[in-house]
Amino acid sequence: MSFLAPLALLSAAVIGPIIVAMYLLKLRREERTVSSTFLWKKMVRDVEANAPWQKLRRNILLLLQLLILALLAFALARPFFRTTGIAGKNLIVIIDRSESMGATDANGTRLDAAKQQAIALIDQLPDGGRATVIAAGGQMDVPASSSSDRRQLRDAIQGIQLRYSGSDLAQALTLASALASHEAESEVAVLSDGNASVPADLQVPATVRFFPVGSRDANLAVSALTLESSAAGQTMFAQVSNYGTAEASRRLDIYLDGELFNAYSLQIKPGQSASQTVEVPAAVHTVEARLDASDEDAQPLDDRAWAVSNAGEGSRIRIVGPGNRFLETALARLPNIQVTRMPTSTTTFTETAAQVPLTILDGVVPAQLPPGNLFFIAPPRSTAFFSVTGQVEFPALHPSTGEDALLRYVTLSDVHVRRATALVPGAWARTVVDGDGGPMLVAGEYEGRRIVVLSFSTHNSDLPLQVAFPLLISNVVSYLVPGSGADAAQIAPGQPLALPVDDSITAVRVTKPDGGVVEAVRESGQAIFADTTQPGPYVVEQYQGQKLVGRIRYAANLFSASESTIAPKSQLAIAQASGLQQAETQEQNRVGRQEIWRWLAAVALAVLVIEWLVYQRSGIAYLRERLLRRRSQPIR
Amino acid sequence: MTTTTAPPLFDAAFVRKLDRLALLTRHAMLGETQGERRSPRRGSSVEFADFRPYTVGDDIRQIDWNLYARMERFFLKLFVAEEELSIHLLVDNSASMAWGDPDKLHFARQAAGAFGYIALSSLDRVTVTAFANEGGRVLPSVRGKRGAFPLFDFLQKLPVGRGGSFAEACRRYARTARNPGPLLLCSDLMDPQWEEGLRALTTRPFEITVIHTLAPQEIEPTLEGDFRLLDAEGGEPIEITADLETLRRYQEGLRQWRGEIESFCSGRGIAYIFADTAIPIEEFVLTHMRRRGAIR
Repeated sequence: MSFLAPLALLSAAVIGPIIVAMYLLKLRREERTVSSTFLWKKMVRDVEANAPWQKLRRNILLLLQLLILALLAFALARPFFRTTGIAGKNLIVIIDRSESMGATDANGTRLDAAKQQAIALIDQLPDGGRATVIAAGGQMDVPASSSSDRRQLRDAIQGIQLRYSGSDLAQALTLASALASHEAESEVAVLSDGNASVPADLQVPATVRFFPVGSRDANLAVSALTLESSAAGQTMFAQVSNYGTAEASRRLDIYLDGELFNAYSLQIKPGQSASQTVEVPAAVHTVEARLDASDEDAQPLDDRAWAVSNAGEGSRIRIVGPGNRFLETALARLPNIQVTRMPTSTTTFTETAAQVPLTILDGVVPAQLPPGNLFFIAPPRSTAFFSVTGQVEFPALHPSTGEDALLRYVTLSDVHVRRATALVPGAWARTVVDGDGGPMLVAGEYEGRRIVVLSFSTHNSDLPLQVAFPLLISNVVSYLVPGSGADAAQIAPGQPLALPVDDSITAVRVTKPDGGVVEAVRESGQAIFADTTQPGPYVVEQYQGQKLVGRIRYAANLFSASESTIAPKSQLAIAQASGLQQAETQEQNRVGRQEIWRWLAAVALAVLVIEWLVYQRSGIAYLRERLLRRRSQPIR
Repeated sequence: MTTTTAPPLFDAAFVRKLDRLALLTRHAMLGETQGERRSPRRGSSVEFADFRPYTVGDDIRQIDWNLYARMERFFLKLFVAEEELSIHLLVDNSASMAWGDPDKLHFARQAAGAFGYIALSSLDRVTVTAFANEGGRVLPSVRGKRGAFPLFDFLQKLPVGRGGSFAEACRRYARTARNPGPLLLCSDLMDPQWEEGLRALTTRPFEITVIHTLAPQEIEPTLEGDFRLLDAEGGEPIEITADLETLRRYQEGLRQWRGEIESFCSGRGIAYIFADTAIPIEEFVLTHMRRRGAIR
């Protein structure tokens, strides 16, 4: 224990003797002449039977006053203990709330441990210190911003909930850097199990300390679960991976629509996976794979996974164009899709967007555009969505660098194009693939409709001959017809659901995994449901009045190898301005200060109250006597 | 040693009330000269008492000639003697008595005065003794209503003495007093040897009445805080911390002490009358003393 202001102890040395002197002065008793001390002597003789206590009682006020003085002087000296913690005045706490923090190897979950640690850090914040709490994982939250109100900070920390998401610290660290650069004596505390992605190019202008949580790594997880149509009905494919460092054997239970269907024993070596393929009846809508509970598994959250089937409720797609064999072949391979071909001359479209959610316009732009989402291929003329300015010969393709969902698993580097339409898209569009002379593939949403434009025809490119083509078509259809495509029914927790709906639909209801039914928000032709943080099956139903006209199922799963790898790390590499490349763990140097003057002051206050009571003891006894006397009096 | 110029003991109206009262004695007592009280002796009153045979030397005037006529033997006719009584008033005028509000000594003077006056009005002889050290006074003896003036004067001028041993004073009085008769003792008995004192008085055939005089401040002290209590008679000072608990103990001790005195007295035929000086003397004499059978 050390003192911040040791000189304050001198005050005790000064005031202490004064109190004692005053007390000695006070001890000079008032003199009073009585007729005879005869009776008093008699009494004192009785009392002196318990003399030691009497002597102490005579001095108890002095002792209490000296105790108060000692406590106050001690408190003024501001004693503190060195603890694991922080020393800065502007503290930024980043709490990882990703799925891996749900591991139960700490006291409670890792998140609980991290919260506790965070509260301990808040408690040792020096006076006048401020703190910001950032919850990283999924969408970043800042529940408390630059606050010096410890209660608010504690509440903010307690309010952080686990998210079924990956842990990307980039956003949080960027914000922390911005906050730290404003104030001197800033310090960033990262509370995580270390299974987090950290941007390499960020340099935090403050000391970053890493407080690791978690101790075990044993974890088995359902790493993949799909349900696909097959000749015999449906095929379920489940994969279980061992992310731990020890071989494990577990039982995998398969539930069909909530009923236990079969169980399989799996023996999996560390780092390996085991898979199971099961034929299930066509009528099954929801499949759940569940690993039986085990003490050896530190992370129970990833032991369950769901897959859903929308068989029998497939989406209809119509193609308007001269006929395109490549396109039709690619579409035919997609599950739950019915394709209708319509001649180029079609001008009126009677079906609603609920009935036909996607129209592919292959080299055609009708005067009256059909309702629903649109996929333009080599549009010959301008529309309300884009302008066509001419033709481009032999454009080179430049796919966007970001990870666009449309380009998942797709490589366009070997694609050659002979002729493409020169496009100028509206502000709604994002360019997915750029090219010389104009964008090659754009996508976006306009007035509630999703629109994708491919600027070149399949006949003017070698794209249809490549592996990328069916994948690209699958991605495009998944984007334009949500709820179709190979894994379209899989969503990540937290990913919002958006369905195109037309005006004839009166209500869109979402049944959540816990059974709760929620009305989705309607906004410019779309029904949006964003509260998908809970993993499990979601059922979206569209109603026209009381009539059910469409039902689509989704399964929210976090199949994330990085989150299921729960082995805690003791070091986290975060570049900092102080030159350290590693965020330190605090075991080596204890810089935190735990001040205890508040407790001392509180105790001093309590002793003060006791002293007052002792001083007034005869008054209290008098009151008590009166009370007793009154109680013993009969009620008149 | 101060001579008190105290206020007059009583007003005239009270004295008139005292006239109607008389001392009660539980049995006949010997006196010296003729008075108004029955004496165990035979004397010359009009009340017949007994006969006895004549012996040589007897006064022949007392021979009952009627009886001689009948019996032919000489008998003396004896009458009840009526003699005066000697009333002993013992007033404790030690320093401890000159304390309290109302003053204990003043109260004792008044009580002794009233008692003495009643005795004088029935032609009894009254002796007053104040027995403090350095303040000891004796009013030898007065008789008849004329004696009331010297009695009141003596009591009024009675000075406050110093301390002194109560027991020693009592012992001395018991040794020296003549003609034991009714004895009134006015004291606060604040002496560790009060018991010895009373016992010494009982060795003579006094008919003792103790008026135990205490001031209200002694009965219910109102002290609060730390005090050094000084003894008015120069005893050892004592330090106390007065709180409710201490006062409760004090009163407990007082109650116990009074109980001891009372049972001691009742065991020895002593009339014990407790006197709170807050009670007006008139009420005390007319009500309390009467109720206790000391006067009629």
